[in-house]
Amino acid sequence: MPGVPRVRRNRIILVLILIVCVTMITVYAREGDNGPLHKIQSFFTDIITPFTSALAKIFRPIRDGIMNIVHLPSLLQEKRELEEQVVSLRREALETRELRQELDRLKALLRWSEENPYKDTVGAEIVAQSPDNWRRLMIVNKGSSHGVKKYMSVVTDSGLVGRIISVGSRSSVVQLITDAQSAVGGRNSKTRETGILEGRNESTLRFIPMNEDAVFKFGDMIVTSGMGGTCPPGIPVGKVTEVRRRGRGLTRLVIVKPFVQFSRLDKVLIIITPEPESAVLKEVQ
Amino acid sequence: MSRRRKIAIGVSMLIAYLLQLSLFPELKILGVQPDLMLVIAIIVAIQDGPVEGCLVGFIGGLAFDLTGSQIVGVGAFSKAATAFLVGIFKDLFVTYTVLLPVFLVFFGGLVEQLLYHGGLAVLGSTGAVPLSPKYLFAVAFYDSLMVFVLFPVLRKFRGSEYSEYLGAIRP
Repeated sequence: MPGVPRVRRNRIILVLILIVCVTMITVYAREGDNGPLHKIQSFFTDIITPFTSALAKIFRPIRDGIMNIVHLPSLLQEKRELEEQVVSLRREALETRELRQELDRLKALLRWSEENPYKDTVGAEIVAQSPDNWRRLMIVNKGSSHGVKKYMSVVTDSGLVGRIISVGSRSSVVQLITDAQSAVGGRNSKTRETGILEGRNESTLRFIPMNEDAVFKFGDMIVTSGMGGTCPPGIPVGKVTEVRRRGRGLTRLVIVKPFVQFSRLDKVLIIITPEPESAVLKEVQ
Repeated sequence: MSRRRKIAIGVSMLIAYLLQLSLFPELKILGVQPDLMLVIAIIVAIQDGPVEGCLVGFIGGLAFDLTGSQIVGVGAFSKAATAFLVGIFKDLFVTYTVLLPVFLVFFGGLVEQLLYHGGLAVLGSTGAVPLSPKYLFAVAFYDSLMVFVLFPVLRKFRGSEYSEYLGAIRP
């Protein structure tokens, strides 16, 4: 505005700005969505959107860089928290896996217990193993206060583990079938031939058949015969892995690999009833 | 105001407008972004005078009003009035310090938001973000940080009259 004094010009500008603002606000507030100001607003937004969109893409790396710097302390904190969470979750996952495996084992034991006629069983946990190399013994956390008696059979869902040879009030000693002093009556489930299963302090058992001419083949399943009065009949023991002549062919040697993996044992069942005849006889005496 | 300065302010406003729409929405701190157009208007009000600041605030506010969906004119009015008020308010200070523009922009940021949200409330509309003291001070603080970038840039293109003005207010 040439020729107009500066102070007067400023007043005119201020008044004009005020009038324009008030007019725009009034018109905008009173007009409908199809009013001129609304249309100008929409038009202006349409024009500017492609530019801002393109600029946003251009600025994205800058934005990311700045945000990384701005959020660095919180990111580091978040990283620490996530690492702690990872450790915690790993521990939980491990515990869950352990619990699931234990649950599976317990389920298998329960299923075995239900499927077999020996209804009365006591679940026990193995708390210790034989410290020396000459015996194959285990200690379980159930004893006479739980109804456990000497010579009772100890089993898992896989098969025979051994028998109780010593009973305390809250613990018992189990003699494994692999123990060199163990002898259990056995039977070939296929041919019904009987014999004695002896431990060898090794991972396998020796089966001595009653009938020297009995036929044993690789893979034949050996179960308890019930003879001897300690083990109930029909409990799986293992399968034949080797048949050979001993000495000059006078006695045959049948090697049986137990179904139970003794190194992985942690829970077992003790068969309470039927009571072993040996124990009953002892009580009668 | 020299022609060179007018161009510098115009270019600054255009860049600020585009940055405000593209970059700064992504650089929110505590959920807020600075109002670059207001910062420029206040700096112009400090460096050139209240009416010039008012004019810049009006144009910048109008540009944002037309881009959004709020009532056209409220933003233009609030920025223009704030720049004008700050331009007047600045003259009350007899000494000039480096932090004076920072304080004035912070003060202007508070005033502008109150005017803008108050205007919308009077007209029966509400702002995009509910007005809260935390939000109010965060925006004003963010605005005042922008002074450290924009004030030297705009001062570089100032006219000779600014030096005279500074000479007048400085002890």
